[in-house]
Parts: sequence; structure tokens; C-alpha cells
Amino acid sequence: MSKEAQMRATINQKLIEMGERERLKELLRAKLIECGWKDQLKAHCKDVIREKGLEHVTVEDLVAEITPKGRALVPDSVKKELLQRIKTFLAQHATL
Amino acid sequence: MKMEEMSLSGLDNSKLEAMAHEIYTDLIDDACLGLCFEVHRAVKCGYFLLDETDPESMKDFEIVDQPGVDIFGQVYNQWKNKECVCPNCNRSIAASRFAPHLEKCLGMGRNSSRIANRRIASSNNMNKSESDQEDNDDINDNDWSYGSEKKAKKRKSDKVFLHSLKQPGFVNPNSPRRSKSIKHKNGELSTGSSDPYKYTYNSGINYETLGPEELRSLLTTQCGVISEHTKKMCTRSLRCPQHTDEQRRTVRVFLLGPSASLPEPEPSVENDSYDPSENQALMSRLQWDGSSDISPSDSASSKTSTNNSESKKTKKKKPHLGLSSGSGSGSGSSQQGLGSSSTKKKKPKLLAPPTPSIYNDIN
Repeated sequence: MSKEAQMRATINQKLIEMGERERLKELLRAKLIECGWKDQLKAHCKDVIREKGLEHVTVEDLVAEITPKGRALVPDSVKKELLQRIKTFLAQHATL
Repeated sequence: MKMEEMSLSGLDNSKLEAMAHEIYTDLIDDACLGLCFEVHRAVKCGYFLLDETDPESMKDFEIVDQPGVDIFGQVYNQWKNKECVCPNCNRSIAASRFAPHLEKCLGMGRNSSRIANRRIASSNNMNKSESDQEDNDDINDNDWSYGSEKKAKKRKSDKVFLHSLKQPGFVNPNSPRRSKSIKHKNGELSTGSSDPYKYTYNSGINYETLGPEELRSLLTTQCGVISEHTKKMCTRSLRCPQHTDEQRRTVRVFLLGPSASLPEPEPSVENDSYDPSENQALMSRLQWDGSSDISPSDSASSKTSTNNSESKKTKKKKPHLGLSSGSGSGSGSSQQGLGSSSTKKKKPKLLAPPTPSIYNDIN
């Protein structure tokens, strides 16, 4: 295992153990709702469903359609803030 | 471990950034996945499309954005100018006033019973003490003024009336004088109006509407001092404590002419007893500030004081303090005495003679 990968694993473990990951997740969710990202994506979902037919929609379909669009639709401010937080965490806890 | 530490410290920022970005992407994917599950479940459970409506209904409930109209399309003051016809008295009443009017008209509701009781009580009072017309004024006042119901209740419940003097010219329903009021004519007043819809506010008399004879007769029985705010004459007794005798004199001079006789039979009896103490008080007041605010009364009492000044010289020095302390307490009553004495006597000002005598006494 490369040192980088090892490092990555350690960091992830730390994130989860300290509850930071959960906190970040909640923060992100709140911000996305606030900025209207969720509604936008839901509208997109409706289109997909209409396309595929209400009865035959599967999770995989949705995921495949939604995820790339979702990634693109995140506003810059939210992205910046989240990255900032992550970097702060890394700076604090990357030095073991 | 050391190797790891070295590698960690050796990590450049780009790698840290890459790691951070990876973590961020994971988080975003989690959010998207969460949404997908939510939508999928809604679809499968059948509640996904519930909040959709057909376009026709959407148009019906569209938000209105016109001026003069709220977002539902309703006009704001639609009912302001509308008039309703009262089924009881068949009068046309404004819509906003309709409910209170109906309450009074039908004789139901809390207020109407209260007002009726008060009217009965006051009419009883009127029958008991003649010409207690101020009560009627007060009823009309109570209809009109705010917070009057409290006073009316207090008036009924308290047998011992509290006499409060807070505002000049204010007719206090709790004043004991009202029950033993002096008979006086209120010829011009629109009192006793039993019409509940007319609100007349009369705390006094408008002197302009009265003739000289009526004025004279009024002034023999009433205080008559004209209030600054309402331009009306005070209807209280001649000894009303809200106004000084000086004010009463001024009003009489103003209304009846400078040669008017000043009818003050009652206070004159007390004047004789006031004279000596009032003069001493006057002297000490001159001593304190020598201010001109009591100069008109100075003129009246100064002549009498010159008579007393000689007697003052013979007094010892110690009583000076007694005088000054006495004046402090007596000045309140002396004011009245001063005013009343001045109404009796009209003399030119003689300020010079008394003052040197006082200073002689000090020395």
C-alpha cells in the first residue's frame, strides 16, 4: 500500500471516528437545500421519470442520471466552504 | 513511524488538495445518492407526483401583482365606504362602526349595560342634588373619553371620594365637592342630552356665548377662570383650589370690565385672620428673592405691611428664623391669602419702603 493511500485511509478513518464526516455531511445537506440545489435536481428527476416511465424507474437509472448533474449544479460558495473545512481538518490531523 | 512522519511532512500542498477534493467528492456523491433514494421511494410509494396540479388550477391561484390589490386579488379597503342599514333603528351606519352601534342600539353587550347603569346612577344623583349638572357633563365625557369607565366604577364603589388635582380644568368625578355642589346656572350648556349617539364634551362654559348679565351671575357663584387649553370657564366653586384668587380676579376684570365689582363674599371673612401672617410671609419672601412674580400682590399688601414694619422692628432677631421657617410652611396658604387680599384692595406699588426696613432688621 502506498504511503499516500495509507495516509488517505488513516485520514478517512479519523474523519469517521471523530464524527467530523457526519458533521460535514449535515452541513452540506443543509447548504444544498438552502441554495435550491435539491429542488433543481428533483425537477431533473421528474424529467428522467417521465422519460423512463413511472413504473419502470430503477435506482440505478436515477443514480446514473442524477449524480453527474448534481455534481455540476453545486454552487461555488458551497464547494469552497466545504473544501476549506476539509483542508482545516487535514491540516490539524494529517500530522500524526 | 518516522518514515511516515517524514512522508507526511513532505507531502506538498497539491497532494493535500487532491485528498481534500476526493473527500469532498465523496460527500457530494453521498448527498446525490440520498436524493435518489428519496425520489425512488416516492415514486414507488406513489407520492412523488402528488404536488402537481393541472395548468388550469395553476392559473386560478396565481399570485396577483397589481397595485391596489393584495396577492389574492382582493381589494384592500373594500368595506370602508360601504354603509349598512341598521335593522333596529333603520339608520345608515358606516360598516366599520356597525358592530358597536348595533351593540348599543339593541341594548346587548357589555358596554351598553354599563353605560345604562351609569346613566341611571347619575340621574338618581341628579334627582337627589339639584342642578348637579356637572354629572351630566361627565356622563357625556365618559362616553367620549378613554378610560372613563374605570373612574365611573370607582365612583360607584367608593363612598369616600378621593380628591385628586392633577390637571387644571379637569373635571374629577371623584371630587367630594360634586355631591354638595353649589347651585349655578348652566343655561347655555347642552347637558342632559340623553341621546347616546351625541358625544358632547363640556367641562366648562364658553364665555363668548354668554351675555354680561349671565356672566355676572355666573361669576358670583363659580370660579370662572378660563382654562388655557379649552378656553372655557371653570365651573367649580369660588374656592376651587385649582385656581388662585388672582386668576379669578383677572378673569372678572377681563370679562366684566375694569370697573367690575369683585364678588368674593366668602374669602373676605378669612382675610382678616390671614393679614398678619400673610404680611410676615410677604416680607420674608421679599427678603429671599425680591422677585417680581408677586409684585401685584405686593402692591396690595405692602401698604398694610408698612403699618406692620414698625412693629417688626421691635421684634428680636431670633424670630427672623422663626419667620422664615414659618413662611416656608405658611407660604402655601399665604399665596391664597395674598391673592384674596389683592382682590380686595387696589393700590399702587410701593416696593421701596418695606425693603430697607427688612435689611435694617437683618443688620
